Amino acid sequence: MAQIEKVKFVWRIVDLVVGGIFIYAGAIKVLDPVRFARDIDNYKILPWTIAAGLAFYLPWLEIFCGVALIARHLYLGGLSVLIALVCVFTVATIAAKVRGLDITCGCFGHASQHWSFGGHLALDLVILAALLALYFKESCGEETRESSAVL
Amino acid sequence: MRQAVILAALALLPGIGEAIYFRDKVSWQSPIPASEMATLTQARAWNGNTIWVDARPDAEFEREHIPGAVLLNEDRWNELLPQFLDSWSPEKRVVVYCSSQSCNASREVARRLRDEAQLKNVFVLQGGWEEWLKSRK
Repeated sequence: MAQIEKVKFVWRIVDLVVGGIFIYAGAIKVLDPVRFARDIDNYKILPWTIAAGLAFYLPWLEIFCGVALIARHLYLGGLSVLIALVCVFTVATIAAKVRGLDITCGCFGHASQHWSFGGHLALDLVILAALLALYFKESCGEETRESSAVL
Repeated sequence: MRQAVILAALALLPGIGEAIYFRDKVSWQSPIPASEMATLTQARAWNGNTIWVDARPDAEFEREHIPGAVLLNEDRWNELLPQFLDSWSPEKRVVVYCSSQSCNASREVARRLRDEAQLKNVFVLQGGWEEWLKSRK
């Protein structure tokens, strides 16, 4: 029983850390949306008008999803959105590198300005792995609860 | 899926609010607000009051540049900024250019000159070096 509690505690810590990372990342960008718009524009994937619109929207989405993880409310929805965001961002980063663009990711505002491509990618993959682990843990948990309820 | 849609919709509200709050600070048409951009004709009309700043890499500057332009790129920012400041004076207008309309270097150098060096009258040349070349033909 104590072992189960310990495992639950560890998962809860992962929730808090990952949720906290997205709240922090979102908050930094909320403070300077113009800079974030330029960071999105640097990827040269979207027209400026859409980049500017996303710069106002995405940081709040990150914050809401981070809060969802911490509060465990709309939890699976928050995880799904964040997994999609990290996947899109990782693909965009790799695509930019392949196209020879020298970009700043903008993921943590000014703090991430001088990160290397390898640094970006490593962080993305670690966060993606944590999000996927949380998602499958929660999905399996729900299925187990549903099957116990049926029995 | 329903939860994801709820979160996506919730985030729209503060996003729209923030866009309204920042409406004067962001241009929806171009990454550079019109007030921070200069056409070649405008910059030429300022005549002797213009300092041309070349934000391209060293090699491109050495190959060719606008006559009288000062090299100031982000690769050697700390090293080149003092040299640029030697040629700067408050009454002069600074016009930064990079290779073309789509490059970012001029935008970034102009931003740093405004934010870090606290300079006013800093503009980005519309069309960049390509525009200059076209005007010579």
